[in-house]
Amino acid sequence: MKEKTILGINLKQRKIAFIAALVMLISTFLPFAGVRGDTKMLWAVAFAVLGSGEAGFLGSLYLAAAICIVISAACGAFLFAKPSIKGVRVWIVIQAVETVFATMLLFASKGVFDRIGIFTGKFMAKDFGIGFWLLLIASYVTLHAAMKTIKVHPGYIVLVILSVIWLFPILWIILTAFRAESGYYVGYFFPKGLTLDNFKNLFTNDAVIPFGRWWLNTFIIAIFTCILNTIIILMTSYVLSRTRFRSRVTLMKIMMIIGMFPGFMSMVAVYNILKGIGMAQTLVSLIIVSAAGAAMGYYICKGFFDTIPKSMDEAAIIDGATRWQIFTRITIPLSKPIIIYTILTSFIGPWGDYIFPSMVLGDKQNSYTVALGLKWLTDFQRIDSYYTQFAAGSLLVSVPIVILFICLQRFYVEGLSGSVKG
Amino acid sequence: MKEKRGNIFQIFTRGDIFSKLSFVIFGCSNVVRGQMIKGLIYLCLEIGYIVFMVQSGVHNLAEMVTLGTQQQGMVFNDAIGIYEMSQGDNSMLILLRGVVTLVVTMAFILLWVSSIRSGETARQLKLNNKHAPGFLDDLRGLLNENIHSLFLSVPVIGIVVFTIIPLIYMILMAFTNYDAEHQPPGNLFTWVGLTNFKTLISSTDKLGATFWPILGWTLLWGFVACFSCYFGGMFLAILINSKGIKFKKVWRTIFIMTMAIPAFVSLLVVSTMLGKSGIINVLLQQWGFTSGPLPFLTNGTWAKATVIIVNLWIGVPATMLMVSGILMNIPGELYESAQIDGAGPIVTFVKITFPYMLFITTPYLITNLISNFNNFGVIYFLTGGAPSTLDYYKGAGKTDLLVTWLYKLTKDSKDYNLAATIGIVIFLISAVFSLIMYSRSGALKNEEGFQ
Repeated sequence: MKEKTILGINLKQRKIAFIAALVMLISTFLPFAGVRGDTKMLWAVAFAVLGSGEAGFLGSLYLAAAICIVISAACGAFLFAKPSIKGVRVWIVIQAVETVFATMLLFASKGVFDRIGIFTGKFMAKDFGIGFWLLLIASYVTLHAAMKTIKVHPGYIVLVILSVIWLFPILWIILTAFRAESGYYVGYFFPKGLTLDNFKNLFTNDAVIPFGRWWLNTFIIAIFTCILNTIIILMTSYVLSRTRFRSRVTLMKIMMIIGMFPGFMSMVAVYNILKGIGMAQTLVSLIIVSAAGAAMGYYICKGFFDTIPKSMDEAAIIDGATRWQIFTRITIPLSKPIIIYTILTSFIGPWGDYIFPSMVLGDKQNSYTVALGLKWLTDFQRIDSYYTQFAAGSLLVSVPIVILFICLQRFYVEGLSGSVKG
Repeated sequence: MKEKRGNIFQIFTRGDIFSKLSFVIFGCSNVVRGQMIKGLIYLCLEIGYIVFMVQSGVHNLAEMVTLGTQQQGMVFNDAIGIYEMSQGDNSMLILLRGVVTLVVTMAFILLWVSSIRSGETARQLKLNNKHAPGFLDDLRGLLNENIHSLFLSVPVIGIVVFTIIPLIYMILMAFTNYDAEHQPPGNLFTWVGLTNFKTLISSTDKLGATFWPILGWTLLWGFVACFSCYFGGMFLAILINSKGIKFKKVWRTIFIMTMAIPAFVSLLVVSTMLGKSGIINVLLQQWGFTSGPLPFLTNGTWAKATVIIVNLWIGVPATMLMVSGILMNIPGELYESAQIDGAGPIVTFVKITFPYMLFITTPYLITNLISNFNNFGVIYFLTGGAPSTLDYYKGAGKTDLLVTWLYKLTKDSKDYNLAATIGIVIFLISAVFSLIMYSRSGALKNEEGFQ
């Protein structure tokens, strides 16, 4: 680092932050927005909006932003004269608030301007003037430089923006699930009224949406798949990892080659076979087919077993243990992370599985799983009447799984990294 | 001295009369050496197979040559003087029965080899004056040295019945004309050789005009989706793991949330959000960014860009989670010495983090690439292959990948022969990339390395 650092304050960054803050201040006197030559600067907009009386929460943003800019610039000037780490911290907080406000202006302006009508004609984002864009850029530069001044990681800015983007659809579905007004098309983000009826309807309106039934079906499938698949995967991986027999490598190669064909290429044939043995359109067939293919997913579990030292098996064999005893008394107890990982993934699988159930169950709605049912609800004929119920249903499926997943995240990572701690 | 068991020809020349006899009568050698039950089981299985072949197996195989000759239709019945519905042959069932018979026959050959080997082992034990293990000993062995037979029996049967038989059936279908016009039981279909492959790759046919653009988009999608998620996830992981960031767990959880939600839920939600009157378009207009709805999923080019971006939303957290673990394993001294030498964050990334990461994650990257070629969920739930175009064959759309096209061909237009052909093409693509991976990755070749 070439810049001088005094008392933990980066002087070069402080200078940049101060200059950017000044630019912000100047930009409030530049044309903020204008429709057809009728341009106003930020102060004029702020007072016009407040003066109209029907500003509301978003309308007060303009004045709030303007005041924040002044305070922030003043902070910058003060800290330029008398630097202190605490002062910069306060400055960062004020500047962060200002940056959020400035960003919100980008999204809120059209609504506010059109409602109040301070411009003649509709306002569009392209009507923002140089003042606004300069303000927006300078806000972020000031924040970034101010954070760097006292070595706060500027990555927080990126993380906050990314988090907003990532959580946006999730927030939308949560809000929709509690929305009182039904319908797919609504012209606003935040619902006008909140209700629990969407959840209630899912379970009471059995004639149209037997959601409780769907949920139970999926739960039953998940439980059985989970037990059978875990046992099969553990047995297969154990044998392929810990024992050596003729045709072991051949078997692994065959499974690898089969795995390269797209799974549902053979769906039609499987369906015909199920029909032949009289099991089409049943939940049992889903469990059986899933268990039948479970062994193909042995890779990760075998990778874990491979990391258990072989000497343990050898010692046990010398002591007269059979392979079965080694499996149940040594390998299994040592493999908690991978067992939990396997249980977790095979339990979650059926909740999201769509293609095969749709093929096997066809139009037998009583046997639908949640994935099929919810997809059925978003059909273009139904989406308008059932969109809020769809959201509520999605939430009921996702929340338990997300909680399960987050609690067991540790095992997820450990299971993938092997039994030997580095 | 124990003789080497050798292959079955050596067994034949070396063995006594009973060993030779057991080539025809299974278990003969076992019974003579005292393994009564085992020998009888072998014999029963052989008799069972012969009965099956005589009753229906031979007939099944013979029918497979023509796939049926008697078409369903009205036949004049002289005796009662009216037209009667005649059942006709069902090509699909004939093919399925034929495949089952073939697989049973393969299993029978394995049984043959196994019975000969088992007889030879018993003979050698007898020769050395040892006691050949009885049936109970064999059962006990299942828990010990033969545990693989016990543990693998269920998985192998499952895979044969529900994966291998259907797969052979579908592969064979690629060489028939089982399309929308040849649907059993009303119509017969028959063998056509390589015709399907030829029409698919010909540039003049409409099918070729669909196949090549879809193949191109599949490859493009695979690479872009794979690498964008890879670099995006790496960037996010590096950011969250860097020294100055607090509340690492909170940040990680926020992003992992999208990964934990079942993919079909998040994709369906996002797809409804991106619709013409979905919330994104509503908001964009409310914010004054656009004056009309944007064709996120209805214009070919827009839709392609949209699926790639939405895929980032889902794929980045997955990569982040995986990369986080590896990042922590990079020796810290490397970074310290780089810092002393005056390297900035970009140089550190290019010279240290990225090469290290690439070295470890190459297998993951290629597996991920292959799974992206076959990324059914994202395309199906988001666009369903739309926008469809008249330039393409029956309902295929601009964002269709080979897999989603395959799905449409089976589910909607019932062109099973084309679907099977495309399945084989997908297999070839996956195989090529897998071969590259296996030839480059030492970890997979040397599986004993760790033990």
